[in-house]
Amino acid sequence: MHRYEKAVLEALRKKHPLSLDELAERSGVGRDGMLWAIENLSKERLVEVSRTESSEAILTDEGAHYAASGLPEARLLKRLKEGTVKVSAMQEPEEQIGFQWAKKNGLVKIVGGNIMLSEKGVTDTEEGIAAEKVLRQLSKDPASYGFLAKNSVEAISELSKRNLIRVRKRSRIKDVSITQRGISADLSGRADEGIGALTKSMIASGEWKGKSFKPYDVNVPVERRVGGRLHPLYRLMEKIRRSYISNGFLEVHGPVIDSAFWVFDALFQPQDHPARDAQDTFYLSGIDEAELGEKDYVRQIKNAHTKGWRYRWSLETAKEMVLRTHTTNVSAHYIYDVFSKIGEESASIATPLKFFSLGKVFRNENIDYRHLADFYMTDGIIIGKDLTLANLFDTILKLYGWLGTEIRFKPAYFPFVEPGVELYAYSNELKEWIEFGGAGLIRKEITGFRRKTMNVLAWGVAVERLMQIRPGCNVRSITELYGNSLEWTRGRGGMNECLL
Amino acid sequence: MPVITIDKRYLKRLTEPDLGDEKLAERISKLGFNVESMDEKEISIEITSNRPDLLGAVGLARAINHFSHKSKRFHYQITEEAPLLEIVVGAGVRKTRPYIASLAVTGLKFDEVSLANLLNATDKFTETYGRQRKKIAIGLHNLDEVSAPLRYDAYKNEKFVPLSGTGEMAYSDIIEKTEKGRRYAETIPKSGAKRFPVLKDEKGALALIPIINSERTKVTKETKNLLVDVTGISEYLVNKTADLLAANFMDMGASVRKVQIVYRNKTVITPQLSTDSVRVPVSMLENEIGVEIGVNNVGSLADKMGYESSYTGNIVNFLVPTYRFDVINEQDIVEDIAIAYGYEYIRPAPIRSVNSGGLDTLTIYRSSITEAMAGLGFDQMMNSYLSNDQVNFTMMRMPVEKSAVRIRNPKSESITMMRTWIVPSLLRNIAASQNVPSPLEAFELDMAFTMKNGKPIEGYHMAAVSAGSRSDFNTIKAVYESVSKEMGVECKIEAANHPSFIEGRCAKIVANGKGIGFMGEIHPQVLNNFGIEEPTAALEIEL
Repeated sequence: MHRYEKAVLEALRKKHPLSLDELAERSGVGRDGMLWAIENLSKERLVEVSRTESSEAILTDEGAHYAASGLPEARLLKRLKEGTVKVSAMQEPEEQIGFQWAKKNGLVKIVGGNIMLSEKGVTDTEEGIAAEKVLRQLSKDPASYGFLAKNSVEAISELSKRNLIRVRKRSRIKDVSITQRGISADLSGRADEGIGALTKSMIASGEWKGKSFKPYDVNVPVERRVGGRLHPLYRLMEKIRRSYISNGFLEVHGPVIDSAFWVFDALFQPQDHPARDAQDTFYLSGIDEAELGEKDYVRQIKNAHTKGWRYRWSLETAKEMVLRTHTTNVSAHYIYDVFSKIGEESASIATPLKFFSLGKVFRNENIDYRHLADFYMTDGIIIGKDLTLANLFDTILKLYGWLGTEIRFKPAYFPFVEPGVELYAYSNELKEWIEFGGAGLIRKEITGFRRKTMNVLAWGVAVERLMQIRPGCNVRSITELYGNSLEWTRGRGGMNECLL
Repeated sequence: MPVITIDKRYLKRLTEPDLGDEKLAERISKLGFNVESMDEKEISIEITSNRPDLLGAVGLARAINHFSHKSKRFHYQITEEAPLLEIVVGAGVRKTRPYIASLAVTGLKFDEVSLANLLNATDKFTETYGRQRKKIAIGLHNLDEVSAPLRYDAYKNEKFVPLSGTGEMAYSDIIEKTEKGRRYAETIPKSGAKRFPVLKDEKGALALIPIINSERTKVTKETKNLLVDVTGISEYLVNKTADLLAANFMDMGASVRKVQIVYRNKTVITPQLSTDSVRVPVSMLENEIGVEIGVNNVGSLADKMGYESSYTGNIVNFLVPTYRFDVINEQDIVEDIAIAYGYEYIRPAPIRSVNSGGLDTLTIYRSSITEAMAGLGFDQMMNSYLSNDQVNFTMMRMPVEKSAVRIRNPKSESITMMRTWIVPSLLRNIAASQNVPSPLEAFELDMAFTMKNGKPIEGYHMAAVSAGSRSDFNTIKAVYESVSKEMGVECKIEAANHPSFIEGRCAKIVANGKGIGFMGEIHPQVLNNFGIEEPTAALEIEL
């Protein structure tokens, strides 16, 4: 009998049943070794294992689809809110499904061939369908099934019936007890030959001299030591920072919550630009207005908008508070700071100024397995005399050379730069060119026309995207990076190599 | 950015019929636009929002032809000065949708493809650049069915047969009961409006603007002559849109005639076919792009982008084509010349300067704590900053605090606010990790957001959790001791109560007389709420 098996049995003879943790503590055997011993002992029926089961819910393909696009009956309710719909209009399979469930759950009534909202339907249109809320919750957090199964019984049962979720049982050892056979089993076994564990006193006294050491079975499993692991995304950001500072850039930071002025207006984004739409940008409530720039600067931006885009620029719209949609707001703050300090007479700077920032940005997206509402971005700027598009290309190549793949520049349009550039890198794994950022020369409407030879090179890069490009990282989808179970961080350990 | 889908053979017919698919895609890409997809019949291209003139096959073909030196058409002129028609603008629309431009087109030869392209392009233009017709709407009518005089004004609720309609409908019914009406209803003054913007001729309504045209003047494949109306809220953009449409029809081989617009206080003749000229020194082109071009070569590059150019000395005069809306000043010309030159031919040039780089001291500070936490065996997590009351407060047994940073326009219930602390995020990570052998130990060092006196506070927090049969107050206090040492801040702890923690097993962390965090054993009700099966201790400190 192996000493692990012996230790486990001995512990159980003193007290049983024991949970795994108690058994580990009492037997002094590491977890993997103990599990190995328990398995052997239970095969010989010396111990008995009792298990508990817990559950989690996994979305089926159909479930995942609805979690992203909404349940079909919810879409029907939305249509009905705008007026009645004929029963005969329910043609598509999903329309049929939505109609059937809306009927079944009493959300609609049929009056003379027309579908209309029932009283319950009106409430659910306002408040959302319970099953849909539960489905979305499960898509983010399968383990919340336990909580939901108790608190949202009807919704859970409907989702199971509709085959939108699949419940997965997880069996785990609850406790281990000893059998009659185990109590009477002979533990003495063969007398140990030679020294077992080497002790401090043996080393001091020299007792070990002239004796042999008992050989160990090197194949006995041991518990793996798991150190704390840094998140791959954190390592990637460290790498980006190293690249910036080795190219002479200073790190700066700026607000996550900022006024639309700095996020959009100061970057020449017209106030009716679709990106500023509530569909794309998170607007905040109950926050005092942030400081805009000096009056002169606000006037400069207002004039640029009025002249360039030909509309009535509104200060109120510029004062709205938003979650920044890009880290370029930090660049806008620094461009303003630098130009307001250097004044007009000394319209040049001997050495170009190089800044970068790195942080979270936000898009008002419905989150699902492909979309995130917040992710990291990094922006860089160089302010100096006679800077060119050719300088910009060179800078990008130096900063992102570590990607180890070909980089290409394409014409592109962003309101605040001219010329504008899109940055592409070739992914050897996906066999395609992947866009990873935008760049350009900042418009003089922003920096001020009077400094003719002063240019600002600017670029922004989507951080997570770099992980898809860098060979060896094997990240297919960006949401994968936010899986965030310890199983994942431990499993992805090897990825760190590609980020050294 | 808008994506247009056009008939591939039609595009080739307008450029080079024998052009291979790959060559076509390459040319579009060199102009700066992405080919999203291409199949036997259709090609989809992403057009950047500054180029509304390229939202259809005709405009795109014009740009491709210029770029490959196949076209030198820089001017669009109408020889017949006298307007063919007159539209009188009434006072009723002055406050809502005051401007109209118009043109008459004769000698069209439509086929199925070219008509479909015209309708698609018009629709794409008004949906995207026209902001769902709010800013600009375009109407196309069969000119042969139109009888002068024409008047654009706000009228009482009347009836007409809308396009593809089976019978007469009142304006109000069109707005309330048809799909199009509901879609564009917000462009019309809010409910209770007694008057509706309508373009009328002698026989009645031509269009309920900007919603739908009349069946009477419907445009079909057989239509030879058109009356086009452009309406909107900016006179400049309305007139420029008419210029663009005029250029497009001329490129389709038709003739364009002018229309006189009579406002209360002025008379305008459209299309104006206005052009601008921009003077750019060659040195500016060279200095911004970073290549040597030479004044002699600028002309050929200008041709490629559709500009007629001439130079005196080192100053080049660029004539901005009438269909371009986006050229504000010389910077826009610089970009076009860079595109014509070809980004792939611009050789990267190093900036000759030496700077010393450096990290933000806060970054260095955070890194040292991050490394210390990993050294203690905690796995680093990175979670969303966005949260909701349920997770951030309710599941944590906390009352919902009004002082969180809240989102005004949430799309879903899962994202309604910024997280005020990180522990709830970590508890979700633990709940998702329960098939990993315990103890489960994780930390996150990132931002959380609170409000104070109407001002948002953006702070970095360090939060850690330990879940396992032996995870207790002492486990997490040991972590706190390590971290507070690393932080280099003198901290004290005091026994405290916090609804998320077990009473009597929670401490408040105080630095310089100010509470900067909590630690303790998580309340079993919270563990139930998150579906966590093992005892869990947690810590959160503001850095």
